[in-house]
Amino acid sequence: MKRRKFIKTTAAGAVGVSVLPLLLKNVDGLLADTNYPRAVWVENGEPAQLLQTALKEIGGMKRFVSKGDVVVIKPNIGWDRAPQFAATTNPDLVAELVKECLNAGARTVKVFDRTCNTPRRCYQNSQIEKKAKAAGAEVLQIRDNRFKKTAIKGKVIKNWPIYKDYLEADKVINVPIAKHHSLSRVTLGLKNLMGVMGGNRGEIHNNFAQKLVDITSTILPTLTIIDAYRILTDNGPVGGNLAHVKLCKTLIASPCTVSADYLALELFGHQIKDVQHIAEAAKRGLNKYDLQSLNVKRIKLS
Amino acid sequence: MLAKIRRIAQVLFLLFFIYLFIKARYPYEPLIDSDLFLRFSPLIPLFDFIKNLHISLLFWPALIIIVLTLFFGRFFCGWICPLGAVLDLTSKILKPPSNQTSRKWRKLRYLKFAVLSGMVILAIFSIHVWSYLDPLSIFNRVLTIVIYPLATLLAENTLLGITYIPFLEDGSYFIFDNFKMFLMPENQAHYQQLFGIALFFGIILGLEKVSRRFWCRYLCPAGAWLGLLSQFRFLERIVGDTCPDCDKCQIECKMNAIPEGDVKQTDKVECIECFNCAESCPPKIKAITYRWRWKPYHTPIDFKRRQFMQTTLGSFLALGLINLGLSNREKKDRLIRPPGAVPEEQFLDRCIRCLECVRICESNGACLQPDQIHTSVLELWLPVAVMREGYCEYNCNLCGQVCPTDAILPLTLEQKQKTPMGLAYFDKNVCIPFAQNQDCIVCEEHCPTPEKAIKFDIKEIILEDGSAKKVKYPYVVKDLCIGCGICETKCPLQGAPGIFVTIENQKRISDNELIS
Repeated sequence: MKRRKFIKTTAAGAVGVSVLPLLLKNVDGLLADTNYPRAVWVENGEPAQLLQTALKEIGGMKRFVSKGDVVVIKPNIGWDRAPQFAATTNPDLVAELVKECLNAGARTVKVFDRTCNTPRRCYQNSQIEKKAKAAGAEVLQIRDNRFKKTAIKGKVIKNWPIYKDYLEADKVINVPIAKHHSLSRVTLGLKNLMGVMGGNRGEIHNNFAQKLVDITSTILPTLTIIDAYRILTDNGPVGGNLAHVKLCKTLIASPCTVSADYLALELFGHQIKDVQHIAEAAKRGLNKYDLQSLNVKRIKLS
Repeated sequence: MLAKIRRIAQVLFLLFFIYLFIKARYPYEPLIDSDLFLRFSPLIPLFDFIKNLHISLLFWPALIIIVLTLFFGRFFCGWICPLGAVLDLTSKILKPPSNQTSRKWRKLRYLKFAVLSGMVILAIFSIHVWSYLDPLSIFNRVLTIVIYPLATLLAENTLLGITYIPFLEDGSYFIFDNFKMFLMPENQAHYQQLFGIALFFGIILGLEKVSRRFWCRYLCPAGAWLGLLSQFRFLERIVGDTCPDCDKCQIECKMNAIPEGDVKQTDKVECIECFNCAESCPPKIKAITYRWRWKPYHTPIDFKRRQFMQTTLGSFLALGLINLGLSNREKKDRLIRPPGAVPEEQFLDRCIRCLECVRICESNGACLQPDQIHTSVLELWLPVAVMREGYCEYNCNLCGQVCPTDAILPLTLEQKQKTPMGLAYFDKNVCIPFAQNQDCIVCEEHCPTPEKAIKFDIKEIILEDGSAKKVKYPYVVKDLCIGCGICETKCPLQGAPGIFVTIENQKRISDNELIS
């Protein structure tokens, strides 16, 4: 072999080796994105069934959770209410999600929320603690010393304490329940992320849309699953009146939180312009997909 | 032998008291009611009788003690009282002087009778101050306000501190999580009146340095009451003829109940049946035995007529002073009592300041605190809701369930959710929407009633640059508000809140209303 040829071959090889993975990754990414819908809307089923169907359509849990991952599931456990009041995420859905993650090879699944009422009351009465634990998750109370001051590149907010276990997780699954909220009109995926924020959360309430989008832009989850099995249509986010609970038997799943939230507005009959914080998120480009041409797979179970 | 059994019983009763104390928390699924031990206090039926002129079976544990005391003497003090057990433990550390050295204090014996009779006189005139000195109340109070929070502080911080050592991190978190799950799940509690309650208890312990069981010998009104009842006691201490009058038992006696110079006698009013005397009798002699013997005789009570007159005079003076103070209405504004509390006048009489309600509230919304003196000394250490620090949990009615004297009635959850503790008011000078024309309504978000008691009005305002902006201005609906105070707790302002609860519209419940 000539020296010149050797150098050429080596150079070509080197370029090939370094570029090929990038190409492959791109191809893979393209494939993934084209093969699967951007979001799935399943209705008319029980929580576990809804989740199974949605996951199957969106590529299975293995698409999101790899072997050995530490997964955080973030439901809404904010209030001391029983599941039928639709103030907290459906416990059966959370349990099923825990099982899915473990089946996909997750090493640990952690479930937690920074509650508004007394933590132990919320964990117990929402039934999430019991059912998620039975499914194999670690359900732990928030520890005050585990909030980490995190830099935020926001318009208004420059840093905020975020829960360490959330930041350190390999994958995060956000499981809000769709509810009415008098300040933000609805509480969905973005708003649910307030449950991993430390500090005086009441301060976020003035200039809410800006501040919420500031913080959530740093901590967007891997997957968002909106629990709309029961939705709370009024007197939210605490509820407490069964007359305001509507049985929708619906579930929305998307790798993009803003897209999922955008879709869920249909449940309440809102337009995106009515809901400041979601509009703001879209304006700032927090959405992974174009909201106007969203490829949604809609399934109605029988 | 008997002394050994007595020591074991003391430890077991102390542990039982602490067990019930720890079990008083959410989730409350008791095998034994948490307030059971508190209802053992022999003073409760006495003063309940003075107040209501009938014997309430609610206090059956105390009635059993009283009946047994008639025949067995002050065994409660020696065997059951957890404060007594703690004093015995303290004396192991403080090493109190012998009865010979502390002889000069013996003349103070009358004090406990003075305390008791003074309290009876006040109670006849419907001023109930006795519970401040009730031994079980004292102990429960200090457990709640001082010892438990202190233990949490030490344990939590030690375990969390160890997590910063890299190779111990996992292990320490493991212990911490289990510890928080099973032993001390409550958050670190911070109480007002901490110093006063700690000092009060500290003095009782410290007096052990002056003489053994100083509190029980000279001050405890429960001891005095049981002493008065001990006249028929028939478990006698018999001193045999082999006694060489070495005075060892006299010197060692916890209560100084063996008269100097006549070791064959026992002062029945003072003796708490610890059975230490048989143990202290030299091994080769062992002259002391205990036998059943029905031979009632009277042991004189160290309370002279002159002392009784002085006490009576003092009590009337105190009565006057307590009644004469100005009861400033303005200061009653924030005296929010737990939901289900009986009307304030009755509440003052019935509450024994044991703070069991404060204890169980800590594992819930944590609004209850020991009160301070606002206008009357009797307000001291009553439970009061301080809602800037905690709120009344909507789905909780536990304070009524653990109240030993039903000063807080055991409301059902449904009743409790319809019993207003007070009414919320906005302070528009500081409330964010009113003061700054900014949205906030955190209070409205947290309001737990099925129809929110805080509603808001959307008004358009014109900004400086001429543009319009819509702002939500909250207001309170009186008929819906139950004064739970979550709005006050969660108000995001740093200091004084933009919304606060006052006693306006509070509903007090009397016993007959509960039945209906």
